[in-house]
Amino acid sequence: MTDKPSPRLLLKLDPLVAALRYLTIFLVAFALFGLILWLAGKDPLQAIRDTFSSTLGTGYGLSEVVVKMIPLLFTAVAVALPSRVGLINVGGEGQLYMGAWLAAWAALTFSALPPWALLPLMAAMGMVGGALWAFIPAFLRARGLVNETITTLLMNYVAPSIVTFFIYGPWRSPLNALYPQTIDFVPAARLPAFFGTRVHLGLLLALLFLLLYWLVIKYTRWGLEMRAIGGNPQAARRNGLPLTTYVVAVLCIGGALAGLAGMSEVSGIHGRLRPGFSPGFGYMGFLISWLSGGGPLGILIMSFLTAVISTGGDILQIKQGLPFAVVNILLAISLFVILARPSLLTKGKQA
Amino acid sequence: MKKSLFTVLCLLVIAAFLLPACKPAATPTAEPTTAVEPPTAVPVEPTEEPSAVPTEEEPCLIIGAIYVGPVNDAGYNQAMHDGLMEVKENIACVDLLEAENVFEGPDAERVMENMIAEGATLIFPTSFGHQEPAFNVAQKHPDVIFEHAGGWMMAGNFANFYGKPPETWYLMGVAAGMMTETDKLGFVAAMPLGWTLTFVNAFELGAQSVNPEAETIVTFTGSWSDRAKEAAATDALINQGVDVVTMHVDSPATVIQTAETRGVYSIGFQSLAAQQYAPEFWITGAGFTFGPLMTGFAQSVIEGTWEPAFIRCGVADGCMAVAPYGPKVPDAVKAKVDEVLAQLTAGTLVIFQGPLVDQDGALRVAEGEVLAEEELGNTDWFVKGVIGQPQ
Amino acid sequence: MSVLSILGVISSAIFSGASLLYATLGEILDERAGVVDLGLEGVMLVSAATGFGVTVRTGNPYLGVLAAMLAGGLMNLLFAYLVVTRRANQLASGLALMFFGFGMSALIGRPYVGSRINGLPRYSLPGLSDLPPLISSQFRFDLLIYLALPTAILIGWLLFRTRWGLGLRAVGENPNAAFAAGRDPRWIRYQALFLGGALAGLGAAHLSIAWTMTWGEYMTAGRGFIAVALVIFSKWHPLRAVAGALLFGGAVAFQLLLQASGIPISPFLLDTIPYVLTLLVLIAWGGTRKHAAPASLGRVYLGAEQ
Repeated sequence: MTDKPSPRLLLKLDPLVAALRYLTIFLVAFALFGLILWLAGKDPLQAIRDTFSSTLGTGYGLSEVVVKMIPLLFTAVAVALPSRVGLINVGGEGQLYMGAWLAAWAALTFSALPPWALLPLMAAMGMVGGALWAFIPAFLRARGLVNETITTLLMNYVAPSIVTFFIYGPWRSPLNALYPQTIDFVPAARLPAFFGTRVHLGLLLALLFLLLYWLVIKYTRWGLEMRAIGGNPQAARRNGLPLTTYVVAVLCIGGALAGLAGMSEVSGIHGRLRPGFSPGFGYMGFLISWLSGGGPLGILIMSFLTAVISTGGDILQIKQGLPFAVVNILLAISLFVILARPSLLTKGKQA
Repeated sequence: MKKSLFTVLCLLVIAAFLLPACKPAATPTAEPTTAVEPPTAVPVEPTEEPSAVPTEEEPCLIIGAIYVGPVNDAGYNQAMHDGLMEVKENIACVDLLEAENVFEGPDAERVMENMIAEGATLIFPTSFGHQEPAFNVAQKHPDVIFEHAGGWMMAGNFANFYGKPPETWYLMGVAAGMMTETDKLGFVAAMPLGWTLTFVNAFELGAQSVNPEAETIVTFTGSWSDRAKEAAATDALINQGVDVVTMHVDSPATVIQTAETRGVYSIGFQSLAAQQYAPEFWITGAGFTFGPLMTGFAQSVIEGTWEPAFIRCGVADGCMAVAPYGPKVPDAVKAKVDEVLAQLTAGTLVIFQGPLVDQDGALRVAEGEVLAEEELGNTDWFVKGVIGQPQ
Repeated sequence: MSVLSILGVISSAIFSGASLLYATLGEILDERAGVVDLGLEGVMLVSAATGFGVTVRTGNPYLGVLAAMLAGGLMNLLFAYLVVTRRANQLASGLALMFFGFGMSALIGRPYVGSRINGLPRYSLPGLSDLPPLISSQFRFDLLIYLALPTAILIGWLLFRTRWGLGLRAVGENPNAAFAAGRDPRWIRYQALFLGGALAGLGAAHLSIAWTMTWGEYMTAGRGFIAVALVIFSKWHPLRAVAGALLFGGAVAFQLLLQASGIPISPFLLDTIPYVLTLLVLIAWGGTRKHAAPASLGRVYLGAEQ
């Protein structure tokens, strides 16, 4: 018995039907969101219209949506992969920070390297950072000591503090006078951007890993074994599958991907380490993985939609005077609708 | 079961009804909820009346402002917001777009771009950390004017303005030094940034000038706005024997209220609206009063006469003000503060002139020398008499 | 470090720990009934904003506290609907609730950001008013703090000494068996979640109305999650939760004290202490945890009708 909406169900069907299902989810979500806006004294139709026009109506808006999407793709897979074996990785946020931290270390220490050497090094370090951060919860879970949900969650709070410590301490920038940040990265440490927008090479990396994820799950032996473990761990163990290895490996890979999200953000967008630079990418990745049931196409679509919603929050603030945080309501309601599993989505299939 | 979809909708609707409907609807614009004490300084120049442009037509100028926090925080953001509200009052045909809680990072670019897309031609990135994103956007839009607060970058369409807080901090120190009975002053700071350390130093030097025994204890909360930490930090300072508390965080509300509850004096910063939180134990405060300056900017943009200028203006110029005094402050203190202010304005008193010694006893500024203006933002040390970690 | 400073840490621990304790008690109820509520952070935020708003509007902090409790209960009812009636995954629902809380609290609280309230009045412990004001002023506590320990005892009594509590725990251990014994697991879980949410709301009310007397977005700063950790730390027992909450509240205060004493440890590293502490405790107790946790914790109850 599963207690999440079956991802394969949503995807194996006629893509048109699947698209219709996603559309319905969002229509319901938007309707409820509009209701809340209306109760708050705002104009919901105008708000929703503005959201879409400012994000999808201009080239600039679209590019910004893609910029937001890049880390979401990483963090969503970081959650989706462990979920194949039934693990819950809520630690994307912390893993992201540690990945960014190690990547920043590489950028600052090896600043003399040319970009074709430095960037892959930073990416590798990003993955190592995230993987290491995920290793502790993975180890504890594999040993049966503590559930990984709680440990990954707690470690989310430790990581940003460590990063901030370095920003104010050893890596402090001389410009620290006015705002806290590290020394700027050299140009060689920056992921290049395209066509004068802020969309950077991280996009290709993210899409690559999404593709890899899909290939592994669908076509490799590992994917098969992971699904077996996720479906029935007891039986899998009896059949000789190395559960412990998978638990550790899968969580660490997930962490590595989240770490890559961190690296791509600090390298592609910021060009330095700043405290609190992630507006919850890790948690949003968790939401996306759930909204999409963990399937790669769903992740792509949901990341895009999530990016649209969170980018659209700006215009809601500027024109409607709403606090930016209200976009969280829309995200949450979308998730509520899916979690509530109205029959429209599951076509009468029981939980 | 179609029923289940219906139940979903019903329950969510009910939940949506109950939560916000029980509470009053949010007001569309963020008006400050309290009356602000009028500043004691006189505006620099009388503002010109706008030309006869009826307000129902196209606005003569759309201003965009981004804030790092909420505009009614009775602190920095409110001070900036109040200044812009004054512009709207002075020039009726101005439209104002505002965005709060804009993180000091690349995302700020997007917010400003959105404002420009909505027609803004004068942008105020009000927080230190908005400087670089704003500069990037300025490069892409040479016809839009940017007035950044607190930085140093300049360009053809990008200028910088700010007050002279060290001045007012010195005055606050004077007041605190005279009012304290335990000779221990407390300073709740957000983060160990260069300017913050400078403020602390100015405060302590001011206190020392009237009370050589005075010490300032500094605690950092690690965040511009963590209310619980600020309350705890204030309590911790008071437990050390501090009887005058001041702060450099976004909103002084929590620190001042905590001090008031414990019966300890407080001095506010950033916005004159802070006084409402401490009716009894308020000493005074310093606030930014940029209304006239901002009106001048707006006017020049409308007339097309705007030129980039690096502006630092203090109390005498009307950009900063000393708040009205609280009920427990004796006249002697008020007189002394006025006297010192006159000296600072006249230039006969220079705050950071040598000899200045740091906490470890090392000489930082030699006798007869003055700490350079550019250095103030890069301070990484505390003067002797300050207790706390500058790193 | 003077006696005054140490007393200060204790006083601060009590102030800081009170909201934690209430939230933890709420989560204990939830988890004893078999439901993990990760959305406490969102619940607390909405409660804090609602309570603060009502206090501003009516000028009456007690009404604000009641409003906060109600808001918390309602938020958790929404959660209950998802995980009990719709049988959704508890972890995902909890996180969704958290996001919902982020947004709703910002919306509800926005008009009140700079408002000033008269918080709950504070009373000295009897007999302490003779001490020098510096000491006695540290130990003036508000009503919610005085009620914290009694509430913990009450919850303990409810859980372990009443039939209702027995039923709740039975559902937490094995809902099918409980159902066979004539109880309604769904209804019991609804009750537990509502009460749990109300308790979390009480904690949030203390934070915004009694202690900081302000509202700001995200002001709970992770307390909702610490509460979840504290539940495990206290082995699902209300009285041990008191010790845990004090410990955590004290950690924050201790960090500030170290700073104020001029001890050169980075405040950011000190910030991590509560979480690292929880992790260590979790690891240490990891082996015995299996015996302490309610057996059906986190698992969806499908009910007798499939």
